[in-house]
Amino acid sequence: MFALSFKITSMLYSSELIKGTLKTIVLKQLENNKRMYGYEITQRVKELSLDRIQITEGALYPTLHALEAEGLVTTETEYIGKRVRKYYSLSPNGKTKIDEKISELSDFMNTMKFLLDINPQTV
Amino acid sequence: MYCISEKQIDFILNDISARGIEMVSLQQDLLDHVCCIIEQNLKEDGDFESFYFSCIKQFYKQDIKEIEEETINLLIHKNYYVMKKIMLVSGGLCSLMLSVGIVFKFMHWPGASALIVLGILMMSLIFLPLLFVLKVKEKKESKEKIIIGLGTLAAVSLSLGVLFKIMHWPFANMLSLMALFVMIFLFLPIYYFSGIRNPETKVNTIVSSILIIVGCALILTLVRSPQGTRKVYVQTTTTYFRNEQILQKEHDLTVKSASEIEKSGLDIYNSCEKLKELLLQKETGVTKITSDFDSKNTLISESSISDYLAMEDTSDLKQQIENYNLKLEANKQKIAMDNSFFTSENMKIDAVLNNLIQIQMIVLQNQRS
Repeated sequence: MFALSFKITSMLYSSELIKGTLKTIVLKQLENNKRMYGYEITQRVKELSLDRIQITEGALYPTLHALEAEGLVTTETEYIGKRVRKYYSLSPNGKTKIDEKISELSDFMNTMKFLLDINPQTV
Repeated sequence: MYCISEKQIDFILNDISARGIEMVSLQQDLLDHVCCIIEQNLKEDGDFESFYFSCIKQFYKQDIKEIEEETINLLIHKNYYVMKKIMLVSGGLCSLMLSVGIVFKFMHWPGASALIVLGILMMSLIFLPLLFVLKVKEKKESKEKIIIGLGTLAAVSLSLGVLFKIMHWPFANMLSLMALFVMIFLFLPIYYFSGIRNPETKVNTIVSSILIIVGCALILTLVRSPQGTRKVYVQTTTTYFRNEQILQKEHDLTVKSASEIEKSGLDIYNSCEKLKELLLQKETGVTKITSDFDSKNTLISESSISDYLAMEDTSDLKQQIENYNLKLEANKQKIAMDNSFFTSENMKIDAVLNNLIQIQMIVLQNQRS
């Protein structure tokens, strides 16, 4: 039993699976935490998902830039010594979009459950 | 916690940009990210460089540049759908406007030319450029991009050429000729020889090439050759010149046989003479057509009176004729003004000149009868 649970918690989801949901994950983190910088987002997601979701840098920053271009997030920069830290936060537009994104994703998950014939865990 | 020195920050920044990350905001993101990882995980007496290199390796699969490529990809992707939508809407709109415009034109309803002009403008300045941008993004090989670019260039200049032609704007012929030149001598060879090599596209390429050649040939069939044009101009000028000779003879006869031409008739006669001189001056550069017009190349072409004169410029003459007609004795001939340049502002210049001669002839005939 211990071995089984250990195996599950240490399992990393593949990046293909995460890719389509990354925008929603990032937006949700920003909704909960007001403003965050990139590293903080990866750490937070890793912590909340019990290490099962590790957002790679190669996926995170392109997504953040795309969200910025879509006008869903805004950035502010702060100097930390010599380097610049960019804080990302939800724009008003992003705040209205987040519910839409989450309900879309939950709808999708229900459809997947049905499509793949996954029994609800409560049974 | 490890403390990163300024020198080390410069080192990381230089390394990231040397490896191909060029977007400044992305550089800042990655720099801060690496620094965070190092600060969190490296022991105070740890080896900075080796830790940095092992850490940055986890950012990418083959090359750190792929992060920037993915970013650009996503940024383009975002505009892609908007552009596609605009392209489809503008394409639908311009074909609608063009076809409705053509129907209006044939029915002589107002608004036809506005619809046609807007339709062509929308097609050549919005639809075709967007189509080009979207298609270019789909293709990877630069040869394919060149083919699309040349095709678009030809299509845009052809449709603008047609627009310029119907609006009597300058450079219309040049635009259309350039379009056909680009289409036949640049686009077609590259398109044909690159498409024919691939068995999948071979038949399609041959059929499309045939259609393009036939299309260009049909357009050129409708176009009058330069020699043909000159021939028409010479004929037009000859007709005018002969009419002018007849008028001159008639004038001499009148002056000889009758007394002086009465005042109101003479005024009209002279006004017509002045208008003719003005028009000829603007059209050919000389005020009078002489018998050697062919060799001097002073030919009357197909300009319309609106190129040179406004309606107001003829209003004095119109007034004179109206007064003249009112005072005319019953047995004499009135000067008709319907279906002449007084009523239609797009009349061709040779028709206007001959109109003026007719008015002068009537004045002379009334004087003699």
